[in-house]
Amino acid sequence: METLARGGTVTASGLAEQLPMTRQAVSKHLLALQGAELLSVSRIGRETHYELRPQPLDEAARWIQMVGAEWDERLDALRGSLENRGSASQ
Amino acid sequence: MKLRDRPEVDEGTPWVERETTIEASPEEVWEALTDEDRLEEWMAPEVELDPTEGGEISVRDGDDHRTGTVETVEEAERFAFTWSRPGEGESFVEFTIEALPGGSRVTVVETPIGPSAAAAGAWESRLARLARATRFALVA
Repeated sequence: METLARGGTVTASGLAEQLPMTRQAVSKHLLALQGAELLSVSRIGRETHYELRPQPLDEAARWIQMVGAEWDERLDALRGSLENRGSASQ
Repeated sequence: MKLRDRPEVDEGTPWVERETTIEASPEEVWEALTDEDRLEEWMAPEVELDPTEGGEISVRDGDDHRTGTVETVEEAERFAFTWSRPGEGESFVEFTIEALPGGSRVTVVETPIGPSAAAAGAWESRLARLARATRFALVA
């Protein structure tokens, strides 16, 4: 993933040269990433080029952050409404 | 009795858990969680709620409107409902109240349960397996 994230588009053989694994192993991993919709794939001549699509990871992280922040705010307000009862505004 | 437990989701489905401690008894917290006038003090400006299993919930904050169904009503212990915005995926929201000396711990867990949740879970669990298999560091 790191190699992909660093380097724009890559080919399976290009990756295999950089990594301690066979070209077949690289292809298997690329297929898995593709299946997980984390790679976009294009064919240029006889070569298949792969590029990282980081959006799905970003989307989940964003959802967690957004929804987490909403609940923090509501729980603070819940605590405030309960601990400040019996004061003038009641 | 409750209609269903918190749903089991795919390993990797994003979900959110938050908690707070409050100097109020579980019974007082329950009132604030299940009375629509009290809910309007902290959850959203406009809330309609029928706090019975199968009852409807409607939460509106300006243009943001969510509706859903009450799933679990266990007085002073557990309150859960589903909700969704129009045309969007549904989430399961569950509050748990625990008595503490001098107050209560309130925990809320929101779990997406619509079709988008399944898709999100599937890719993330595949990615997790791949990462473990290859021992690559993931770039967040």
